[in-house]
Amino acid sequence: MDTLKPVVMLLVEDDPADQKLIKKSMLDQKIDNELIIVETGEDALEYLAHSKSAEAGYPTPDLILLDLNMPGMGGREFLRRLKADDVLDTIPVVILTTSDSEQDILATYKLQAAGYVKKPPTLDGFREVFSRLQEYWFVICKRVPQGQLSCTAN
Amino acid sequence: MDALKTAVVLLVEDDLGDRKLVREALTNLGMSNELYVTASGEEALEYLQRSKCGDVESPRPNLILLDLNMPGIGGKEFLRRIKVDDDLCSIPVVVLTVSDEETDIQESYKLHAAGYVQKRASPEEFQKVVSKLAKYWFETSSLVKS
Repeated sequence: MDTLKPVVMLLVEDDPADQKLIKKSMLDQKIDNELIIVETGEDALEYLAHSKSAEAGYPTPDLILLDLNMPGMGGREFLRRLKADDVLDTIPVVILTTSDSEQDILATYKLQAAGYVKKPPTLDGFREVFSRLQEYWFVICKRVPQGQLSCTAN
Repeated sequence: MDALKTAVVLLVEDDLGDRKLVREALTNLGMSNELYVTASGEEALEYLQRSKCGDVESPRPNLILLDLNMPGIGGKEFLRRIKVDDDLCSIPVVVLTVSDEETDIQESYKLHAAGYVQKRASPEEFQKVVSKLAKYWFETSSLVKS
């Protein structure tokens, strides 16, 4: 993996308590990471539109962490729109939710989620989840090559 | 660790040495009985067809590990075909290959691979990689039930 650049994660999460827990657990990770937080699917799409245009201050995420139950379009609709976008569809999306309903699991994998993680109840639980998540996505997995997501590339 | 023992993994891999490495790595995690192996994309599609028909010898995989360079349709075409299948498209597919070509990485994610892992040459490194992969998919992530 490219260890020089921090990995960029976009967290789509409306709950301030969960945002705080995730932020805290990220601070303890071995991998240098940049966590960007937006509160709704609409905000996430707006952020990604800036990324597509290669605007400064809107780095393209290497991974998206997505809550399901949010005001507005919600996580599933965001995922559907992202995966229908010819430029953004290569960004892996991991669901991070309190729901463990079989219906949500099946529906989100059908929409091409790349993992479905039930939120743990404690900070230590979050740390463990993020450690494993990062070891998978940023240690053993190859990332989508930089510069190939932007509309202005090539 | 219970989830590890119940997961069904389909490995699509033509190389005998690599099959052995994956099998050994999963065995060390307590998973040997749940690994099913096919040698090509065509065979994997046949396996999945049987699993759709309820064949008990071909249980539906919770996860597919896919080599790219194989005879016949190859890994990418296999991936493309299962992702357009309304039923099979919910199975996450992790690419496991020697290739680190940027085009292979880009195309695999474009075809909705749920990860792109480069094979390691040494058995020790291979073991570490499979262990991290298993911890993510079988202990951290929930999967669609078979």
